[in-house]
Amino acid sequence: MPTVHAESVPRVRGVSRRQFLRVTMAGATGLGAVLARGRAPAIAQTRELTFLTIASFVPDTDKELKRQFEEWGAKNKVKVRLDIIAHLQLQTKKAAEVQARSGHDLTALGPGLGDADLYYDYLADLNDIAGDVAPKNGGWLSPNDYLIRGKWKLLPWWQPPFPMAVRTDLLEQLGEKSPDTWEDWLRIGKKGKAIGHPFGTAMGHSGDANVTLLSILWSYGGSYVAKDGKTITINSKETRQAMEFVKRLYTEAMDPEVLAWDDSSNNRCLNAGKCIAIHNPISAYESAKKDKVLVPGTQKEIAEVIDHIHTPRGPVDRKATTGFWCVGVWNFSKNIDLAKDFLRYHFQPENQNKWVEAGHGFNMPFLQNLTKHAVYKSDKQYRFIPEVAKVTVPPSWPGPTSAASQPVWDLYIIPDMFAQPAAGKVTADQAIAWAEKEMQEIYAGRKKRP
Amino acid sequence: MSSGRGFWPSVRPAFTLYLPVTPFVFFALFPLYFMLVTSLKKNAELYDVNAAPFLIRKGVTFGHYALLSTDTLFWTWFVNSLLVSVGATVISVVIGVLAAYPLARLRFPGATSFGVAIFITYLVPPSLLFLPLASVVNRLGLSDSLWALVVTYPTFLVPFCTWLLMGYFRTVPKEIEECAMLDGCNRVQTLWRILLPVAVPGVICAGLFAFTLSWNEFLYALVFVSPAELKTMTVGVFSELIRGDIYYWGGLMAGACIGSLPIVIAYVFFLDYYVTGLTAGAVK
Repeated sequence: MPTVHAESVPRVRGVSRRQFLRVTMAGATGLGAVLARGRAPAIAQTRELTFLTIASFVPDTDKELKRQFEEWGAKNKVKVRLDIIAHLQLQTKKAAEVQARSGHDLTALGPGLGDADLYYDYLADLNDIAGDVAPKNGGWLSPNDYLIRGKWKLLPWWQPPFPMAVRTDLLEQLGEKSPDTWEDWLRIGKKGKAIGHPFGTAMGHSGDANVTLLSILWSYGGSYVAKDGKTITINSKETRQAMEFVKRLYTEAMDPEVLAWDDSSNNRCLNAGKCIAIHNPISAYESAKKDKVLVPGTQKEIAEVIDHIHTPRGPVDRKATTGFWCVGVWNFSKNIDLAKDFLRYHFQPENQNKWVEAGHGFNMPFLQNLTKHAVYKSDKQYRFIPEVAKVTVPPSWPGPTSAASQPVWDLYIIPDMFAQPAAGKVTADQAIAWAEKEMQEIYAGRKKRP
Repeated sequence: MSSGRGFWPSVRPAFTLYLPVTPFVFFALFPLYFMLVTSLKKNAELYDVNAAPFLIRKGVTFGHYALLSTDTLFWTWFVNSLLVSVGATVISVVIGVLAAYPLARLRFPGATSFGVAIFITYLVPPSLLFLPLASVVNRLGLSDSLWALVVTYPTFLVPFCTWLLMGYFRTVPKEIEECAMLDGCNRVQTLWRILLPVAVPGVICAGLFAFTLSWNEFLYALVFVSPAELKTMTVGVFSELIRGDIYYWGGLMAGACIGSLPIVIAYVFFLDYYVTGLTAGAVK
């Protein structure tokens, strides 16, 4: 057997075992040191304030917010960073930041006020800011709605009110004038569907479906939780009446595709010239105007034949809801005072004015004076938005917002309850019994948020 | 008679090969085609519910591509994706090779259990892992940097690469390694000089899969990185072009088309290795 000499076995090119061990040990030691300290080595001690928010439905809003943030940063010699993500991803991002007890200083919260209860232990108290902001802006719209366990854990920031976006030319063609009730829209939807222009509202898992179907439920006198925040009230004759109406609306005035619609689908339906009306904020109109979309078969811009009118009333009431977008400060932030200072700056009347103007009225603050902003008189399209805001309530109305009300929204229980019997899959009683059980479990704390 | 024999062989592939494979090719390429068509349509046509969805009837526009280039940081995101994917792939394949070799070759207590454990690790979904990983990334001080992704992607890439390479290494005959050892090679040298050259198709296959998984990853990229200039392409396009209930479909599809190119190019270059790595093994 031949003898093997060490020289005849060349080393692996470039790295000896000794070098490999040395580098590995050094790396492991460095990593261990970082882990033991629990934080990164301080490379530079610069004050930096970070803000996580969602991509605005009207992009100019983000530009104005960024301008204000940078202006405040320059005045206070603070480095600022505004990070923008899609609103659908906010839940994930918030959960990760809370888990790591690290992330941004300021964060958008929502949609809905339930985050304040869900993240109660991780949000800084904002009582002082809420108190400072209100008198300068004519007061909050409904301050009692925004208090969670008696405290301001967030500031309600903006809402997109839900008027009816309608095609005036088609209404004229059908001989319809000033529709104001849900029954009016059933009648118009039937006529519209007959000529290829159905009514459109999402009935799937989307925010728009939650908004419109809750609006109908309340308009018929129903609700899902009582004022005490404990008693589930969904099993009622008012709910059955609302469901009967929605079934007729679905079968007689809409296309089956609404069961699969997301938040963008109704916008597309209106701007494509198909839908006669949708229950939606002004975003569809704004994008039609920006993209100069034409009425099919004509050279007329569709934005010219879109109008926005009041959210419909039902036999009992006129109510609507919307995404309640809020802003909060994490209590694990190292810059709580700076964050509060920026909020004071952003909520100054002149900055709020500029911000609302940049959003073309889409983002309405929850402050009295801002509901009378000049932007709502700048275009006749916006005239009903302040009226809609007056009848807009939190999604849990008449119950309080809580960590339990948020999953009812997030799990799309209301849309499912309406959609299943409308599509003929179950009876109304079965759907109500299912929804009641789900809600009871959520309010008893057995079913957590997804 | 001779012309008859010549005709059938010439047309036979049309019936036995091309015709059967056509539906699969159509099925595979349709999403790419639809993305391309949508990215080249004008907004007016995209809105038109009466327009043919699979054809461009009202003229081609490159406006959506221009929007990506001028109104967003698309090319920065593209480069970020490339850096992260290449980095994570290299790390994962190296670790995968080093882990797969002993598990495939050496007999030591617990070898089988280790193999199974690695497989089980691969089955844990990132949607469960991202919350604890957020704490780890924060403690490492890597939040809001591309390193956060380079470090976390191997958590799902290494088990995959290891598992794939274990299977591949087992197909390489032990005898050629034993010959090398008889000639004086130690284990590392055998791995480096004998096994890896023979296992190139398997390594490339693992690399391709790792690169594809990294390139498409969304959740970790969303959670661990926030600054706009550090986002990867998947998150950046989504953040900028979905604004509430307004979806910029043209821009989204343009981003998807450009995003597909590196994967397409990688697979075209390494297709032979890829197929061999998946199927044939290394025995020649």
